[in-house]
Amino acid sequence: MNDVGEWGRPPQRLEQRLAIEPDGTVVARSGKVEYGQGIRAGFARTVAAELAVPIERVRIELGETERVPWDMGTFGSLSTATDGEVLRVAAALARRQLLERAGARWRLPVDSLHVRDGAVLAPDGRVLSYAELVAAEPLAGPLPEPSTLVAASIPEAKPFRPEARAIVTGAARYAADVRLPGLLHGHVLHPPRPGSRLRMLDATAARALPGVLAVVVDGDFVGVVAQHDAQALAAAQMMTAQWDAPPIAGAPFEAVLRDDAGTDAALAAAARRVTAHYHMPPIAHATICPGAAVADVRADRTDLYVATQRPFGLRDEVAGLLGLSPARVHVHPQLMSGQFGRGNVGDAALDAVRLSRAVARPVRVRWTRAEEFALSPYRPPLEAWFEAALDADGTIAAWRQRVRTQPHTYGGADVPAEFLLMTAGRNALPPYRLGRARVQLEVAPAQGRSGAFRSLAAAPNVFAIESFVDELALAAREDPLQFRLRRLDDTRLRRVLETVRRRSDWDARRHAAGHGFGVACADYGGTRIAQVAEVVLEGERIRLERVWCAVDAGRLVHPDGARNQIEGGIQQAASWAVLEELPLHEGIVGAATWHDYPIARCPDAPHAIDVVFTGDATQAPTGIGEPGSVPTAAAIANAVCDAGGGRRRRLPLMATVRDREQAPSP
Amino acid sequence: MRLEVNGTVHELAVADGKRLLDLLRDDLGLTGARFGCGHGICGACFVLVDGQPVAACTTGADEVAGKRIVTIEGLAQDGELHRVQRAFIDEDAMQCGACTSGMILSAVSLLARTPAPTEAQIRAALAPHLCRCGVYLRAIRAVQRAAATP
Repeated sequence: MNDVGEWGRPPQRLEQRLAIEPDGTVVARSGKVEYGQGIRAGFARTVAAELAVPIERVRIELGETERVPWDMGTFGSLSTATDGEVLRVAAALARRQLLERAGARWRLPVDSLHVRDGAVLAPDGRVLSYAELVAAEPLAGPLPEPSTLVAASIPEAKPFRPEARAIVTGAARYAADVRLPGLLHGHVLHPPRPGSRLRMLDATAARALPGVLAVVVDGDFVGVVAQHDAQALAAAQMMTAQWDAPPIAGAPFEAVLRDDAGTDAALAAAARRVTAHYHMPPIAHATICPGAAVADVRADRTDLYVATQRPFGLRDEVAGLLGLSPARVHVHPQLMSGQFGRGNVGDAALDAVRLSRAVARPVRVRWTRAEEFALSPYRPPLEAWFEAALDADGTIAAWRQRVRTQPHTYGGADVPAEFLLMTAGRNALPPYRLGRARVQLEVAPAQGRSGAFRSLAAAPNVFAIESFVDELALAAREDPLQFRLRRLDDTRLRRVLETVRRRSDWDARRHAAGHGFGVACADYGGTRIAQVAEVVLEGERIRLERVWCAVDAGRLVHPDGARNQIEGGIQQAASWAVLEELPLHEGIVGAATWHDYPIARCPDAPHAIDVVFTGDATQAPTGIGEPGSVPTAAAIANAVCDAGGGRRRRLPLMATVRDREQAPSP
Repeated sequence: MRLEVNGTVHELAVADGKRLLDLLRDDLGLTGARFGCGHGICGACFVLVDGQPVAACTTGADEVAGKRIVTIEGLAQDGELHRVQRAFIDEDAMQCGACTSGMILSAVSLLARTPAPTEAQIRAALAPHLCRCGVYLRAIRAVQRAAATP
């Protein structure tokens, strides 16, 4: 059932996606995974609406590689927009087939029949349940293109998360909670830099510790297996090793995203020029539960209980490691703490596989918080330089922009250029009329382990662009929101800006002492989003008071779930912007506990986050998981400037007393 | 040693230095208290000890001998959810759920002491619990809803 479809495109057959069980349960399958985005709820609502069954009778299977169709991974805010649409079409096709089957049995035209409550109804009152209609022959057939089928309207309902009851009662099972008979516990001695060669190891003391069953040395891999987690951890900490760090792999990558003739001349000739340099530090995913996995490697099959955003990618990687066919590796994604890109790499799962193979017993590996900070990928730093020319009437006549960052994806030197461009270059092109423009991107090899984090480089790029646009508005003595509207052609982006203008009462905003308001907007993968932030400066402290947000993500399949995602994106990005910087020296992370890397706590949350959706129900859905986090930093920084706190071109905003580095030149 | 967990009295042999969190998760199979940091900073492992929220990851098992422990698994009575649990569902005050057990237990403790808390008191009570998904405002609303529920 998991043959790989065309690259990036899961197989599209009904029988791979949807089945009706004898008790009437509708099972729908997706290779996506749930880590709090609420896609299970969204998928369930979509399928329930198309098939007219109560939502409680829909079961969504996610990411179980044995049972669901192949999928590239859960990232890019694509689950609802792509796989959700596939499930919608699958359910719509199922409904049509069920109606046709009932019509054939009753010899009645299909358009005289109705579906309700998991059954087909005839005008004379006869009823055939879905289960009866599929008893002889399961539903099957190729799926039509989503655009050919009008979506059923999804009824408004109370918040619904299939996992909610398990979460509030503690029954929810995360990877670290999995217990198998005979389970052992492992820890790994990780080098400070991934890919280091082991030069020397002393494990004598570790081997002698009580409960230690094996010290596993396999090439450059060093781990220990013990009866209990604490014993394995103590043993790992007692081992000493020397490592040779690998050279930094890869060459700098450069791309010109836009290059209009005459840009330099237009800048040179301009009446007024504005320049600025922005710096975003590296930040950590800081997921609440550190990486964990249970691996059970046996001769005939391997089972993995994990937190992963790429169940099929992990399956193939483990199969390669073990020299097995992927069909013999079964990945069971558990409920996982918010991943935001963290779960694109195997990490604890690969540790557990190596240890389980060595001892021929199931092994759990749970990283410590220090390991999670030190070893998990981080969002790399990003710098952006701008130079723009304003005409006498405030028109942007020319624009030069240079962005320098490191890979926002995994894979080191092997990453294809188009991936670097798609990730590091995300939202690097401003949505405004710029006159003559040149936009350049440079991706330098990372010294450490940079990777993908919610929205990739979009959040840092948009912070820089939307801060600089604010500087231009000030230079042009125009209202910053009006300045944007006057230079935007996209009607949907204009509409979300107009909406936050109204919702925040922007034109009548009052500047009480220390208060400031800032605006920012973005088009993230088709989702248009605008935000207004209100801040209060209290000495060195920046207090986020309120955020207004308007979002156009097309049709919403789960409005309250979408709201939750946008609110969460704003809250998380406010934490990035105000508080977060991962200490990093030559690629080595200098944070071990939450004291070294504080993130926002409940008292830091704003008083209110007002989210309004302006999407058209006839438009296909676009992403919701990432966009909320994209404009927030600029909205806050613009508000800080408006409040009299000065233009902050360096994040985090609270680090006002830190020594400023000399700005590197472009 | 003897301790009461969710109304059941256990007699257990406990190794020196064992943490309450490991005892609950590994010996009693109560995994609703989550491991987040091991330093008592993130709040994912909170349980109630004689009604007070504490970090189980930094509490020695020997420190709780003879005390009454309530974990997230012990809140519902005969399948009936506690009003705070119900309110977290009704407000969808969760995303991934990693912080939820701890938040709910701290809220239960707050409402036992302060039946009608101010928003500032709720924020202070939830302050020990890191949430990366950013559901703080929903959690505050859930506690307010629970406080207003008889």
